Amino acid sequence: MAESATAKSPSLSEQYLLKGKEEKLESIKPVEETPIENPVSASEEEVAPKTEETPVSVESSEGAPAAAAEESSEASDATAVESSEAPTDADEGVSGAAPAANEGSSESTEEEKSGDEEAAEETPEIKLETAPADFRFPTTNQSRHCFTRYIEYHRCVAAKGEGAPECDKFAKYYRSLCPGEWIDRWNEQRENGTFPGPL
Amino acid sequence: MYTALNRKRNATSPNVGPSSLPYEQTEQSKNEPKQMIVLEWLFLTIAPCDAAEPWQLGSQDAATPMMQGIIDLHHDIFFFLILILVFVSRILVRALWHFHYKKNPIPQRIVHGTTIEILRTIFPSIIPMFIAIPSFALLYSMDEVVVDPAITIKAIGHQWYRTYEYSDYNSSDEQSLTFDSYTIPEDDLELGQSRLLEVDNRVVVPAQTHLRIIVTSADVLHSWAVPSLGVKCDAVPGRLNQTSILVQREGVYYGQCSEICGTNHAFMPIVVEAVSRKDYGSRVSNQLIPQTNQIAEA
Ligand SMILES: [Cu+2]
Repeated sequence: MAESATAKSPSLSEQYLLKGKEEKLESIKPVEETPIENPVSASEEEVAPKTEETPVSVESSEGAPAAAAEESSEASDATAVESSEAPTDADEGVSGAAPAANEGSSESTEEEKSGDEEAAEETPEIKLETAPADFRFPTTNQSRHCFTRYIEYHRCVAAKGEGAPECDKFAKYYRSLCPGEWIDRWNEQRENGTFPGPL
Repeated sequence: MYTALNRKRNATSPNVGPSSLPYEQTEQSKNEPKQMIVLEWLFLTIAPCDAAEPWQLGSQDAATPMMQGIIDLHHDIFFFLILILVFVSRILVRALWHFHYKKNPIPQRIVHGTTIEILRTIFPSIIPMFIAIPSFALLYSMDEVVVDPAITIKAIGHQWYRTYEYSDYNSSDEQSLTFDSYTIPEDDLELGQSRLLEVDNRVVVPAQTHLRIIVTSADVLHSWAVPSLGVKCDAVPGRLNQTSILVQREGVYYGQCSEICGTNHAFMPIVVEAVSRKDYGSRVSNQLIPQTNQIAEA
């Protein structure tokens, strides 16, 4: 994602220019968030069709990185994927496509990195990737962002079962955002049944 | 060059004697410490660009677009400041100068003047506007997270040290790249290290990458401030403050705690080391491998 900014040091004005590209992706994201809220309030009937639909998102996420690697502009790519996926399944297709564009950019950096280091020694893969900026939490205070991601993960696990691959990204997000001390305390509270949040 | 000049002077000046030679030699040796002082001043003001330096007046060199913006804004405002200073002092000095019982026995007694009253109302209201517009633009652009960050680093303040967490590469809640950063005591400093600024474990970040720094505290108020990066973010217990930075060049940047937090407030500095992306990857993985192995063994 930051790849386009990396090529040369962007001035303030150039950074503002990036915003236009970013807003395109932002406009996709609101859709991405909606499926998260659904399994929370919904009954199990709604969860069942969701799991059936997951193959669609997997296919789209597998197809996207190849396209992203070929084309340098991820934003236009993501929108292209979105438009092709939209008729089939609006929710899942888009939620698969947006992270896929992310993976595409980070994979290209990984490739050039591994090319340099192959001679030295094999290192575990470090993906420069973290929880994205969330439109629900635009403020400096991100406490609720961390808390929400933690809850989202545990709701996801509760709905789709332990070790469901869809939930991994929420786990990544809350681990990136929350201090370890907080997570430990919350885990303890969940075991004791005194966790204050809605699970 | 120096000797050639001397010879020329010896040749032209009429009263040349052997007595003038030692005098010239002392002059030459006198010049040397002077040169050294000049060099020292130049050196002092150039060498440690990303840390505070003795007798520093201006800001430290900018390493982020934000800091560049802050410095530019400072200069913009200074333009108006000097304009007002010159104008006001001119009026003041002129009034003092002319108010004299001999030079002006009958002082002017203007009590009302429409033109001057309009002017002195409108101009002072326009000038703050010229200052406010770029100021607000900068302020809001600092708050805004423009791009999705590539890395999240958590800076947790303690009494009186800092803990940093790199948790983007975790696969469980327990495994995390976490380390404490303590100041190096004065007695342990090595040559070239800055007193009260150096720490044992630096924060390593990649340059040219959008970073999200999450600042929080475990006990009392602290602050995570690095002047070169244009960051000053308060660490509040129970609250996660986010600030995003883009370090434009590789280097080592120094900062200090900026919220009075107790006895050792002065002894919990911040050192950010910006490296290339490749080096960052190898650093993180080299630190991560031992940690994961430890966990696997335990
Ligand atoms: Cu402090």
